[in-house]
Amino acid sequence: MTVEQRGLVYDGFPSFEEIREANGRPSAERLAKGPVAVCECVQQIPCNPCEGSCMKGCIHVGKPITNTPRIDFDRCVGCGLCAAACSGLAIFIINMAYSETEATVTFPFEYLPLPEVGSRVQALSRAGEYVCMGEVVRIQDIPKNDHTVLVTVAVPGEFADDVRTMKRAGAPLLPASPRAAEGKESLPDDVLVCRCEEVTAGEIRRAVRRYGAGTVTEVKRRVRAGMGLCQGRSCSKLTMKILAEETGKRPDELEPATSRPPVRPATFGELAKGGHMDE
Amino acid sequence: MSRKKIAVIGAGVIGCSVAYYNAKEGAEVTLIDAGDIADHTSSRCDGNVLVSDKEPGYDAGLTARSQELLDELSRELDYDFEWERRGSMLVMENELEMEMGKGLCRRFTDTGIRCHMMDRKELKEREPYVADDLPGGMWFDDDGCLYPMGLCYGLADGLKRLGGTLSLHNAVTGIRCENGGFVIRTQAGEIRADVVVNCGGVRAPELGRMVGLAIPIRARQGQILVSEQSFKVARQKVMEFGYMMAKFQNGGEYKRPVTEDMEKYGVALVYEPTGGDNFLLGSSRYFTEDLHAEIDVMRAIAQRGIRFFPVMEHIKVIRAYAGIRPFTPDHMPIVSDTEIPGYYIAAGHEGDGVGMSAITGLLMSQLIAGKKTEFDMAPLSFRRFLQ
Repeated sequence: MTVEQRGLVYDGFPSFEEIREANGRPSAERLAKGPVAVCECVQQIPCNPCEGSCMKGCIHVGKPITNTPRIDFDRCVGCGLCAAACSGLAIFIINMAYSETEATVTFPFEYLPLPEVGSRVQALSRAGEYVCMGEVVRIQDIPKNDHTVLVTVAVPGEFADDVRTMKRAGAPLLPASPRAAEGKESLPDDVLVCRCEEVTAGEIRRAVRRYGAGTVTEVKRRVRAGMGLCQGRSCSKLTMKILAEETGKRPDELEPATSRPPVRPATFGELAKGGHMDE
Repeated sequence: MSRKKIAVIGAGVIGCSVAYYNAKEGAEVTLIDAGDIADHTSSRCDGNVLVSDKEPGYDAGLTARSQELLDELSRELDYDFEWERRGSMLVMENELEMEMGKGLCRRFTDTGIRCHMMDRKELKEREPYVADDLPGGMWFDDDGCLYPMGLCYGLADGLKRLGGTLSLHNAVTGIRCENGGFVIRTQAGEIRADVVVNCGGVRAPELGRMVGLAIPIRARQGQILVSEQSFKVARQKVMEFGYMMAKFQNGGEYKRPVTEDMEKYGVALVYEPTGGDNFLLGSSRYFTEDLHAEIDVMRAIAQRGIRFFPVMEHIKVIRAYAGIRPFTPDHMPIVSDTEIPGYYIAAGHEGDGVGMSAITGLLMSQLIAGKKTEFDMAPLSFRRFLQ
């Protein structure tokens, strides 16, 4: 299956091109040796929890904080702490040596219900499209990961590069859709786009059609999508996609959402003490 | 007789209200803005509709009437703008403020406003999280808050239902008087109107210059911090008594016990819970057109918030923004005709645009229709600024 990908800002997930350029991929040699982190962090955003999460100190972000992480793959043991710490869900653990025919992919999974070890699940690509069936071989929910659950799925080795998540347990089987493959399938109206403020795709369409919103900010002001704790870090791409569908414009022709301080939430107390935040 | 053609320039809360009430009066209304509805000050503000931050008398009376109109609008418009009358309170920081508050309270009750002084016990009962050392406060029964952008969208939607036209993302580049009417030059072509209402807010002087009027409005910036969703730190609007002094610069001899930055940036506690279960924390007052939230001001606002609600220390700030208020030298808006027949101004509400939007729209529709206005228009007249 070939998917024409254009990149994170267009599709909401990175293209192979972007991943290659980000240098977060171990060599084929290293991959063959066993579990290792694969980092698909392609945006230079001010973010570094991965750096502090690694017990072996083999992830380096440094200064400026907008650097994308560098991983010392030879020292990486594929423990998964960084995968749980990454707020962008951009780090995965791949084990190509799982068995002769199968590899495992470990990814953070934020939905309930959690699958059970041993269950057969639909393994999905970065775009959320069906790739193949897989078997859940491990669920990791340790206190250190602060409620971020890591799921490990065994899939045929040739799909280890494609599989990055799974279909939620109990959801109906999803056939590979040609429209989805083109990245043009519309989100159903009842899908939650903004999770912080619980705004659906349908409400966003209404903001555009009835109340004339034409940009991400205009959608936000009308239906609150992007006003919550994450300040649109999760949903603005999807909102952009819906806006592009509704207005017939390309996402890069649409005005981006306004960003305002603080970059990450800080308490009133921290602010009052001088507004100094850790770099 | 054909319907009067009215062009309302500026789709902030004042323009939306003026357009809506004039359409209700039967006029053919076009609402024009260089950007979106509520694109500027009306999306960078809070949702006050308060008597408690007004001068007793005329000023407070306008707001009280606005509150009644909002009760009607919330039934009339097909948009939930979260109008709720939960009351409001002023909190006092020391005994001296309590004494000054008593005088103010008497002046309010004398003019028919429902309010009373609260001792420490009543204050704590109403708001358990206020700092323990506060001596008391003042309670206002009828005040409320709303979602300002929602009110704008509701009014604009209402305008469309009444047959009005929205001309958005269309900047006005010039206005010319012609045959007793106006030709408004815009990016999208010319718009003809019998009447022009300048609802430009901080941009009103620019729209005034196009017809040779000097409108004395300046930008007075304010910044607000937005909290994460949290428990209710307080149930309704809470302001410090000193806010009035920061607003009207009328403290006289009395100086609030505040830091240099708080004094410099006019920082005073204004807390507002929102329909989204978070809260807005202000306020500041500073003469600039800059729209960036500044760390010095943000810090002072956070410090002032914690002074009155220590529990805020551990709650997170998710966003900070700045808006610019249209300030007039005497703190009263301009809702008025001008020496140019057919050219009206509704602007300069400083921080009271949301609160006075409804009454401004109604008064402007009565004025333009040549009806008797509900209030004496002299204090709002543009002529008061002419020598």
